[in-house]
Amino acid sequence: MNQPLQTPAPANRLTSTRAGGKLVKDYWDNIFTARERGATVVWYNGAALNPIFQAMGIEWCHAEAFGARLAATHMEGPAQAMGEEYGYLRELCSYARTTLGCAVLTRREAENPASTAVADDMVLASRLPAPDLIVNAYAGCSTGQQWDEISYRIFDKSLPFFKVSYPLLWGNQPDFDYIKGEEWEAAARYVADQLRQLIAFLEHTTGRAFDWEKLREAMHYIKIAGQLRMDALDLCKAQPTPATFWDWVACIAPINFLPGNQDLVDFFAGVKTEIEQRVAEGIPALPRERYRLAFDGIMNWNKVGWLANKFAANDAAVVCGRYTHTSFWHEPHLIDVEDPLLGMAKHYLLCPFNHNAKVLGQLLIKDCEKYNIDGVVFHSTRTCRSASNGQMIMAKMAQKAGIQTMFFEGDVADASFYKDAILDTRLEAMLESIDVKAMAGR
Amino acid sequence: MIFENAAGSVDATVVRLLGTLSEAAAAPLEYVARWKRRTGRKAVGVLPMNFPLELVHAAGALPSLVQESSEAITDGRSLIYEFYCAYSRSLADQGAKGRLDVFDAIYAVDHCVALLGALDALRFAIEDRPIHLAQFPASMDEPASRVAVRERIAEMAAALAALTGTAPSAAALADSIALYNRDRALMRKVMDMRRAGTARISARQMQAIVQSAMVMDVAEHIAIMEQLVPALAQAAAGAPSGAVRLFLSGHYCHAPRPEVFDMIESCGVSIADDDLFTGYRFIATDVDATGDPLDALTDWYFNRNVTVPCGTRAQKTVDGADTLLTAIEASGSQAAIILLPKFCEPHMLYFPEIRKALLARDIPFLLIETEHEGLALEMLKTRVEALVETMKRGVAAH
Repeated sequence: MNQPLQTPAPANRLTSTRAGGKLVKDYWDNIFTARERGATVVWYNGAALNPIFQAMGIEWCHAEAFGARLAATHMEGPAQAMGEEYGYLRELCSYARTTLGCAVLTRREAENPASTAVADDMVLASRLPAPDLIVNAYAGCSTGQQWDEISYRIFDKSLPFFKVSYPLLWGNQPDFDYIKGEEWEAAARYVADQLRQLIAFLEHTTGRAFDWEKLREAMHYIKIAGQLRMDALDLCKAQPTPATFWDWVACIAPINFLPGNQDLVDFFAGVKTEIEQRVAEGIPALPRERYRLAFDGIMNWNKVGWLANKFAANDAAVVCGRYTHTSFWHEPHLIDVEDPLLGMAKHYLLCPFNHNAKVLGQLLIKDCEKYNIDGVVFHSTRTCRSASNGQMIMAKMAQKAGIQTMFFEGDVADASFYKDAILDTRLEAMLESIDVKAMAGR
Repeated sequence: MIFENAAGSVDATVVRLLGTLSEAAAAPLEYVARWKRRTGRKAVGVLPMNFPLELVHAAGALPSLVQESSEAITDGRSLIYEFYCAYSRSLADQGAKGRLDVFDAIYAVDHCVALLGALDALRFAIEDRPIHLAQFPASMDEPASRVAVRERIAEMAAALAALTGTAPSAAALADSIALYNRDRALMRKVMDMRRAGTARISARQMQAIVQSAMVMDVAEHIAIMEQLVPALAQAAAGAPSGAVRLFLSGHYCHAPRPEVFDMIESCGVSIADDDLFTGYRFIATDVDATGDPLDALTDWYFNRNVTVPCGTRAQKTVDGADTLLTAIEASGSQAAIILLPKFCEPHMLYFPEIRKALLARDIPFLLIETEHEGLALEMLKTRVEALVETMKRGVAAH
C-alpha cells in the first residue's frame, strides 16, 4: 500500500450525535452550579450508579467522565499539573491523577474562591462543585477503588463515603461463561445486596427516603435507550457501515451518566433513525470503505478526532469496539424495570474490563464475525492496566481465528504517551497484510 | 555482613543457618522441587499479598509464595506489557517459560489490577492445572466484605481438598495456624533485636529470613529459626553500630533486589526497621488460634491491614501514613527510604499522602523507584549519600 497515511479526512460522521453533545454540555453546566442551587453533590467513580442518585434526588458527578471530558477538550493540562505538584508520578493512571488534580483544585477553590483568578485554562478543571459525599463502585480495577480512598483523604476524611466491591468475573467453576453459571449469578446477587446497602447509606446520609418509583422510572428510560443503542449498533453490520466506532464514542457520555428520562430515549431514537436512513439510502460512514476494523481497549480521549481522521484517511472503517459495544447497559434484556437492582448489578459486573481474558477474546471474535472484521486495533494504554489486561491473549486468540491484529501506544488521558509514528507504521503493515490475505483468497 | 562474637571469631552457626535460608529465598522453585521429591506431596504456588498459607498447609500441600525471578523478562513480554510492575511481568515470564510447572496449582486472593492481569496470563500459559482466584474484596469497611472473604476461604478449602485429596479439617487448620504463628513470632524476635540494636543483621539477611518463610515448609523454617534466634543474639552481643538509622518502607508485594539494600548500607546506614512485604508486613499479624479456624483466617485478613496498612487495600478507618510515622519513631530511625516499584499503582496513589505526612513531621526521606532490570545503583547511591550527609548535618533533605 503506497498511499500516504494522512490525507484529508473524508469521514461522514453522524449528525444526530451532536444532540448528545448538547445534552452532555448542559449536564455539566448544571453540575457546575450545584453549590449555588444548594444541591447535594456526590462524586462517584466506576459503574453507572446515576439512576440510584437520580432516584435519591442528589446530583452526581462521575469523576472519570470529567477527566475524559477534560482530555477530549484538551483542557486536562492544569489538572494533571496540579496532580504532579501534589506528588503523583506520571505512570499513575491518568484518569486518576487528572481527577485527583481536579479534587485538589476544587478543594483550593472552595477554601479560597479568590483563586479563580488563575489562568483561564484552569477554570474548567477547578469548576467541579466540592462533594458532599463520595461513592466508589469500580469494577475490574483496583486503582479505581483506591483512587477514591485518596479523594476521601484530599477532603480531610470528613465526607460520608461508601464503596461497592465487584469480583472479577474469573471463572473458577466449569459451568462459568459470559452471563452464565452459578459464579456469575452469585456475583450478581452479591453486588445487588451491596446496592441495597448503598441505598440505605444514601438514605442515612441525606435524611430522606429513597424513591423506588423514581428508580423504576429512570431504569424504564435507560432500558429503552440501551436497546435503541444496541439496535443501532447492529445496523452497522451493513457493508459499507453507516456509522463507525467514532460515532459510538460520541454516544458514550449520554448512556454512561445522563439522567434516565425521555431526553435520553429521544437522543438514541434519533441516532437509530439516522442510521436506518443511511442504510436505506446507501449512505456510508466512509466514502471508500476498504477495510473493516475493530478497536480494543479504552478510549484515547486526547486523540479521538485525530484517530477518526487517520483511520478514515486509510479507508479503514472502525466498525466496533470493546468500549462501545460490550459496555454501558448493553444487555438491556437483563433489566427488570419493576425490580431493577439485580439487572443493574449485572450490568455493573459486565464492565468491559471485568472479564477474564478468555471471555474477552471470545467476545471480540464474536463481534469480528458479526461485523465481518478484517483486523483488530489494540490500544495499548500506558497508564491503564485495567484496559490492558488480557489484550495480548485476546490478540493471540484473534490471530488464531484468522484475524489480523496490531497494537498502538497511547493513553486514556495523557497525550504525551501517544506515539503517532508507531501507529502509522503498524496500521500500514496491518492493512497491507489484509490486502495480501484478500488477494490470496481470490 | 560477617557475624563476629565479642572475641572476633566468626559465628559459623549463624552463617550456616542464614546460608540455608538465603538459598531457599534465592532459588525458591528449586527448593519446592526438592521438597516435592522428598515428600511426594503437592505444592501450591500462591500469590501475594494476603494469602492464608495455613489453608494450603492444612490440606497437606506446600504453600510457596511465588517470588520475582532475577531472570531477564523475555517470553512473558508476549503476555503482558512492559508498563506493568516487575513482579507481574516476572510472574508472566516464569509462567511462559514453564518455570512454574513445579506447582500443582496456582492460587491467589488479592485484587491488584496488575496482579490479576498476570494471573490471567498464567492461566493462558499454564493450561493444564488450576489457576484459582478467590478474590478477597479490597475494601475493608463494608460488612459485606467480611462475609465475602469468609465465603472465598471456604471455597478455597473445598477446592484444595479436591486438589490434594485432604480436606483442611478444623484440627489440621489449628495445627497449621499454631505453626505459622510460631514462625512469625520467631521472625519478629529477630526484627525486635535489629530494632533494639542487639543483633547486627543486614537488610539482605533480614529479607532472606522472611522470604524463605514464604517459600519453605513451615516446620523446617521454624527448626532453623529456633537455632538462629539465640545464635544471633549471642553473635551480635556488644557489636556497636555508629551508623545512621534508617527505615525502609514500601514494596507492598514483592522483594526489593538485595543489592539495593547493600548499596544503601554501604552509605553508612543501618536499617533499623521496615514495613516491607518481605519484612515486617508479612510477619506482623498472627492468626487467632482459638475458635473457628476459617473465621480466624478471615479476621487475620482484616487485622493485617490494621497492623500495617497496605495501599492495595481500601479502608477509611486506618491510615498507612500515620502507621508509618509511628513505626519510624518507634524504631528510632532518623530518616526513611521509600522503595516504590515502578508502575505500582497503589503505591503511586498513596505516595503523596506519605510524603505529606513525612514533611509535616520533618522526617527526611528519599523516594527510590525500583525496577526488574536496569537499576542505576551508582546514581542511586549518590542520592542516598546526599540524604545521609544532610541528616548528619542536621538539615532536612528536602
